[in-house]
Amino acid sequence: MIEFRQEAIIEFRQVCKRYPTGQLALYNVNLTIRAGEMLFITGNSGAGKSTLLKLIALLETPSKGDVLVSGMPLTHLQQRQVPAYRRRIGFIFQDPHLLYDRNVFDNVAMPLLISGMTPTEIVRRVNAALDKVGLGKKTKSFPLMLSAGERQRVGIARAVVNRPTIILADEPTGNLDPELAQDIMYTFAQFNDLGATVLIASHDHGLVERMKKRIIVLQRVEA
Amino acid sequence: MTPKKPLAKPRTSSNRSRLYFIWWNQQKQAIDFSLKRLWFNPISAWITLIAIALALSLPTSMHVLVKNLQSLTHNNQSVPTISLFLKPKITEQQANDLAELVKSQPEVLTTTVVTRDQALQDFKKISGLADTLTTLGENPLPNIVIITPKLNDLGETDADLDDFSKRLKTYKEVGDVQIDVEWIQRLRAILQIAERIVAVVAALLAVTVLLVVGNTIRLDIENRKDEIRVTRLIGATNRYIRRPFLYGGLWLGLFGGVLSLLVVNIALLFLVEPVNKLSMLYGNTFNIGGIDLTTTLEVLITSSLLGLIGAWLAVSRYLWDSKVIND
Repeated sequence: MIEFRQEAIIEFRQVCKRYPTGQLALYNVNLTIRAGEMLFITGNSGAGKSTLLKLIALLETPSKGDVLVSGMPLTHLQQRQVPAYRRRIGFIFQDPHLLYDRNVFDNVAMPLLISGMTPTEIVRRVNAALDKVGLGKKTKSFPLMLSAGERQRVGIARAVVNRPTIILADEPTGNLDPELAQDIMYTFAQFNDLGATVLIASHDHGLVERMKKRIIVLQRVEA
Repeated sequence: MTPKKPLAKPRTSSNRSRLYFIWWNQQKQAIDFSLKRLWFNPISAWITLIAIALALSLPTSMHVLVKNLQSLTHNNQSVPTISLFLKPKITEQQANDLAELVKSQPEVLTTTVVTRDQALQDFKKISGLADTLTTLGENPLPNIVIITPKLNDLGETDADLDDFSKRLKTYKEVGDVQIDVEWIQRLRAILQIAERIVAVVAALLAVTVLLVVGNTIRLDIENRKDEIRVTRLIGATNRYIRRPFLYGGLWLGLFGGVLSLLVVNIALLFLVEPVNKLSMLYGNTFNIGGIDLTTTLEVLITSSLLGLIGAWLAVSRYLWDSKVIND
């Protein structure tokens, strides 16, 4: 079982990431994120925002340095511990990656099915998550019947339904109009208020500044 | 910034009943999901099932046929007789003495002497050549001693019977020895070859079933790539991803096996009447038998295992090819 420490929940120690193509995405990144914090990562395209989130979600591994979550270097995680680790993280993508042959309820219920929860508990949690993102009445709808903003909110509900400790969002408002984008950000703020650590990668400086949270600016590294 | 209280951790109780409950819940999900996939894709499911059934029905029917013929040899093995054709100069008295001598051996149950005159009378009756035989002037038939051996003392193999007949041939009075079950011995030898052929055909068709199931599951995986990617990202283990596909393979194998048994039974129904007729013509009481319980279980277990293995290979290959970091 993975043990989590409270204070510094995420730490980057001299992290470099170079892709096999030779592209240097991150160079010597040192960063500490406290438990319960909400912060934004901004920067131009190719600055390494997505890479930074992927390193936390273990979708990538650093070329150099260490990423620690609750004090544990992620490279020390054993292979069989990775799925359990991922279940502690809610990941939201620019494209919410919904399954189009399943309705909203079934999409959101997926993490709970993986955790082996009872049907009663699943119904309770999914309904609560969908209520939280304002889609309580669209449980039976299929993704194609929803607007882009609603689909993104289904993705958020799926990410938070398992009550993750850390929520990572990669350009979650990239495809949305400003009003919807603002709504989505407030939704994240609500989850942060409930105690989740939230990291959002966004290139929308105006939107990020309006949220009045810590901002990390990444700059593109020339190889 | 003051650290806030984190959201409640997901329940990770390690007690056994909780783990069992989770395990059973996930099995139910996978069973339900895999059966629904078959139900809602009837055309592809039926095509696969028919392919599996046909592949399995050939070795199954051959196996049933061989078993039936084996039962024929076993039934007749209980009353084999050995005929000692005595040399032409041996008298009836010498034949009786030899019969007594042979009877004293532990392997022999009974001996009967058929004199040359008796043999001639019988031959006349059976052949209908009475007139022709009278023209010969002299009886060409020898005296015969017919031996019924004790099978328990003789042993069970054809080699034991052969040894015994060779020993009988050493008596100076004996001209020739004929085992009346020779045709059964030949049939048994043919059946041994047939058994090997069935084994080879079964092995080849088992590979075919593996490929059919593997390919079906591979296509299913292709159709569900997005779902697999998403479930992996939200923390699904390889075991969780693999499970519904394994059940899918298991159902294909099992239902394919059931279908093949049905095909073989129908084929046997067509054979029963002509085989029984043929058997009666040879004065035999042989009746063609259907698929017994053991064979039924063998077919179902084998087909299910083949389905499971085929699915396992397809999913494992996919999971290996699409390996996610640290997973």
